[in-house]
Amino acid sequence: MSAEYVLEMRNITKNYGENTVLNDVTLKVRPGEIHALLGENGAGKSTLMNVLFGMPVIHATGGFGGEVVLDGDKTNITSPHDAMTKGIGMVHQEFMLLPGFTVTENIKLNREVTRKNIVSRVLGRNMETLNMNAMSSAARKALDSVGMSIDEYTRVEGMPVGYMQFVEIAREIDKTGIKLLVFDEPTAVLTESEAKQLVSVMKAIAESGIAIIFITHRLDEVMEAADSITILRDGKLVTCLDKKQTSIIELAELMIGRKGEAMVSVEPREVPHDETAMSVRDLYVNMSGEEVRGVSFDVFKGEILGIGGLAGQGKLGIPNGVMSLYPSDGEVTLFGEQLTLGNASNALRMGIAMVSEDRKGVGLLLDQSIEDNIAFTAMQVKGEYLHKFGPISLKDGAAIRAQAEKMIKELDIRCFGPLQHSGTLSGGNQQKVCIARALTLNPRFLFVSEPTRGIDIGAKKLVLETLVKLNREMGMTIVMVSSELQELRSICDRIMIVSEGKLVDILSPAASDADFGLAMSGIKPDEHRGGEAQ
Amino acid sequence: MTKNKARRIVAIVLVAAAIVMGIAGGIFLPQRNGETARATTEELRIRTLLDVTGDGLVETYVKIARDEAMKVTKEAGGNMAARREAANKAEEETRALYANTETDYSTIDTSALAPAVAEYAARLEVYYNLTSDAEQAYIDAHMAEAEAEAEAAREAKIAAGEEVGEEKPVTVDMSGFVATPEMEAALADADAAFEDVAAALCGIYPALDDDALKTLKPTITSVVLQQGESFTDLYDRYMAAGSGKAVTAPTKAWLIRYADDLLYGAMALIVAAVIILFYETLSKKLGIPRIVLGVFFILLCFLCLWFDLSLATLLSNSLVRMGMNAVMVLAMVPGIQCGISLNLGLPIGLVAGLIGGLCTIEWGIPGVWGFVVAILVGCAIAAIAGWLYAQLLNRLKGEEMSVTTYVGFSIVSLMCIAWLVLPFQSLKLRWPMGTGLRNTIGLDSNNFKHVLDDFLAFDIGSFTVPTGLLLFMLLMCFLMWLFTRSKTGVAMSAVGNNPRFAEATGINVDKMRVIGTVLSTVLGAIGILVYSQSYGFMQLYTAPRQMGFIAASAILIGGASTSRCKISHVLIGTFLFQGVLTLGMPVANVLVPGSTISETLRILISNGIILYALTKSGGESRA
Repeated sequence: MSAEYVLEMRNITKNYGENTVLNDVTLKVRPGEIHALLGENGAGKSTLMNVLFGMPVIHATGGFGGEVVLDGDKTNITSPHDAMTKGIGMVHQEFMLLPGFTVTENIKLNREVTRKNIVSRVLGRNMETLNMNAMSSAARKALDSVGMSIDEYTRVEGMPVGYMQFVEIAREIDKTGIKLLVFDEPTAVLTESEAKQLVSVMKAIAESGIAIIFITHRLDEVMEAADSITILRDGKLVTCLDKKQTSIIELAELMIGRKGEAMVSVEPREVPHDETAMSVRDLYVNMSGEEVRGVSFDVFKGEILGIGGLAGQGKLGIPNGVMSLYPSDGEVTLFGEQLTLGNASNALRMGIAMVSEDRKGVGLLLDQSIEDNIAFTAMQVKGEYLHKFGPISLKDGAAIRAQAEKMIKELDIRCFGPLQHSGTLSGGNQQKVCIARALTLNPRFLFVSEPTRGIDIGAKKLVLETLVKLNREMGMTIVMVSSELQELRSICDRIMIVSEGKLVDILSPAASDADFGLAMSGIKPDEHRGGEAQ
Repeated sequence: MTKNKARRIVAIVLVAAAIVMGIAGGIFLPQRNGETARATTEELRIRTLLDVTGDGLVETYVKIARDEAMKVTKEAGGNMAARREAANKAEEETRALYANTETDYSTIDTSALAPAVAEYAARLEVYYNLTSDAEQAYIDAHMAEAEAEAEAAREAKIAAGEEVGEEKPVTVDMSGFVATPEMEAALADADAAFEDVAAALCGIYPALDDDALKTLKPTITSVVLQQGESFTDLYDRYMAAGSGKAVTAPTKAWLIRYADDLLYGAMALIVAAVIILFYETLSKKLGIPRIVLGVFFILLCFLCLWFDLSLATLLSNSLVRMGMNAVMVLAMVPGIQCGISLNLGLPIGLVAGLIGGLCTIEWGIPGVWGFVVAILVGCAIAAIAGWLYAQLLNRLKGEEMSVTTYVGFSIVSLMCIAWLVLPFQSLKLRWPMGTGLRNTIGLDSNNFKHVLDDFLAFDIGSFTVPTGLLLFMLLMCFLMWLFTRSKTGVAMSAVGNNPRFAEATGINVDKMRVIGTVLSTVLGAIGILVYSQSYGFMQLYTAPRQMGFIAASAILIGGASTSRCKISHVLIGTFLFQGVLTLGMPVANVLVPGSTISETLRILISNGIILYALTKSGGESRA
């Protein structure tokens, strides 16, 4: 305990190819403190942790710049196992537990207490007998220290999710010589009471002298548990703060920040609110990782509504649920007509089109030509682009070609021609094909989900401009889902923030960074301010 | 860059070699019918004659030496073993004496021999012409009789319930043939001429006695007789008799003999050069497996030419086999497009088609209508069975490959029992005793044998075009192509391509898979009937087991992957696959005579391709 910091990561820089994901980031953790690591998706939290644990993905992509100092000694962590032996533990977001094994077996996995026997004397360590008693008493001790009364012989299978989280923590604590524990979004899957218990366990662990890095996006938890806070944004260190000298609003503001200039500038206008285009009531969507748990909202005719929020909070579930791509429940009306959920063709027939976030999985027929992709939905849903011969209908090659060429020209799809396979296009051009397919349906209402994901800047700009043009010139009502807040703020009339499957608030694009930050961590800005005022 | 350069150099070298070979071939090929060739064969004939006579002479000497040795040993009082040993020793010595003596043929005066041989040859020709005419007349006179006999035997066999094999061409029993007086006169003439030849030979080999001449007569006759034979055949025969070294200009003779092979070689080299030069473009357009097989196919074509096999007949056969199999291969298309991958459960359709075929034979419907009824019945059964099969596949998504394989094998085994109990009554179908259907049911003109093959069929030389078969194949392909362009067809291929995409468009994925599976099964039923009508047999029991795999490998060779295919893949694949097999077997038989290498080759190719395709099926779907 000689050094002031148990861990210092100095000037860490990491590039993936041309893409800088970490730029000169420094993180310092004192012994026995809870250090919160804050940041939006893609801010570089995971990469920083990958560096700390010496994950193969880091070494395989050319290593990193900067140095890692443990207890004052410069070290080189080569693998996750190496990290473990050096006293760094991780509590994973997805549980790394074997369901069919007991709690004890999970806790002691690969660190079993063993006894020598005759066979092992001949064949080596791997043949030694397990000392179940010693193992279970060690597991018991670890479980007690996280305040868990569960029997150590219970199988993990069928346990409540919260329990699994604690078993994970117990496993890390059980490791001898542990100095530093990383909690990666530990409260994401916990109920409120479990989350509270977790925070108290973390505090107890910290008091025993083990430092904790706490990765989360819940600002209130940060304020409750953390001693100091490091904020990352766009791979850069924003600041390192002491909890006592900051407020939740400042944190929210720092976390969101202004990310560069808006790519597309739109003249400000009155938000249209004359006619409701779509009204959604109590929408529940069972999309794994993006569950929606009871969302209600209205979309006005002629507006661009943005849906934002952090990853895994359910923003993607909304369009997918309305389009019935995933099992969904709730009440949706479009221009006064009831939409029956459960079959994707209903929504399409009523004139809702969607550009999916999962371009390659749902959005495209990668093995088929651009023109077939563009005409497909219109052909199947509306029976267009077909020659009819009695009961038989054959596709109308000439009409499809004409439409495809028109779209290629209008959306500037860079390709060798309408017969090129969509799988061979670049991401941006694939996205344009998806948009072309949606437009070929002549929709009244357009869902655009993550339209700029994985495409280059030029294509991003063009896609956003296309959306604005569609909205302004053709009066199309658009709902755009995006993880890039800046993008939403640049073209949307209103922005809806979703957290944990629920609607937090609908904000104006002009609202402050702090408001967005608060909303994203699930706190309604007005209420928070109201709470502060009281 | 250097790789490209090396490639270009190799190509240039190959082309240069090809040009040289081509020019040589071009110069020498026409000479086969010319004076040089005639002179060469004449020369070769004389030399071969001298050679074989010389060999006969050596035998005579050997015999004399043996007798001498035996006699000497006997007089010396040696026992049987000693005598034999002495005789062998004498033979060895005599042979050794003559083995290394090079006869310088140019020193021998053949002025007396040559005209005698020419005369003998002319007379022999007269005799053989007379013989073949007389024989043909005899055959014509007795043909009707023989046919009636064969038909009677066949009827008797059917009545007795024995297995009737494929119809063999009727042959006339020649035992009753008697030589005509003209023939005998011609033979006497020829024998007289032979006396002259013998006299001339005795002039050259004074040691030749009458006994030796008598023994040598058939050999000499066969050397002299060259009626109607081409230069190539004569050359090869004389070469086999071992007198190649004897010709005045052996290189030239050789060049004339192999001029055609030189031309083929030149073509092969040019093909090789083109492939080397454009390898990258080709491999991008066609894919490596197709290049490998295509090159192999071309190689086989050249080997056929080289070994003087009838390439036209073999290509015609491959065309027939392509037509036979194409519909079954086409059955893979809807399967792949609807997402059940390779329909290795094709035997369901095959069995349905076979039942359809059995029905028409049972009901005695002849010819084209029999075929039509067979297809209708087969399709009806296939549709029902295919629908059930599709239900199974829809309940076991993601495991298609194992499900289809398993279903394919089990339906064949199940039907092995069914064939034994199905209530067919026709004696053509049943075993003569007990119950159950025959293993192989021969089709004949009373059924639908060759209804497609013979429709509008015509010959170009030895190349027979099975017009009806090809038209039917193209018709099926066209219908399939139309279907893929229909609304349902487009939806179906989207399901196979990306089921989640299809679902997002509101397409009923399960329904499309059912349509694809039923279609594939129905095509299987049609396919086996087309196959049977061309083959002339319907094969029951375990025969359909392999056919699913053969069809699958054919379409994979054609360039399809387990998730993507086009009609062109069917045509290319079937032609390459069947072509390689059809050409490969005779070539393999020439290379390794009397072996079963061709069968091994067939198994290797068909199973190897399936294995290769399966390694690809997990990876990217874009071929």
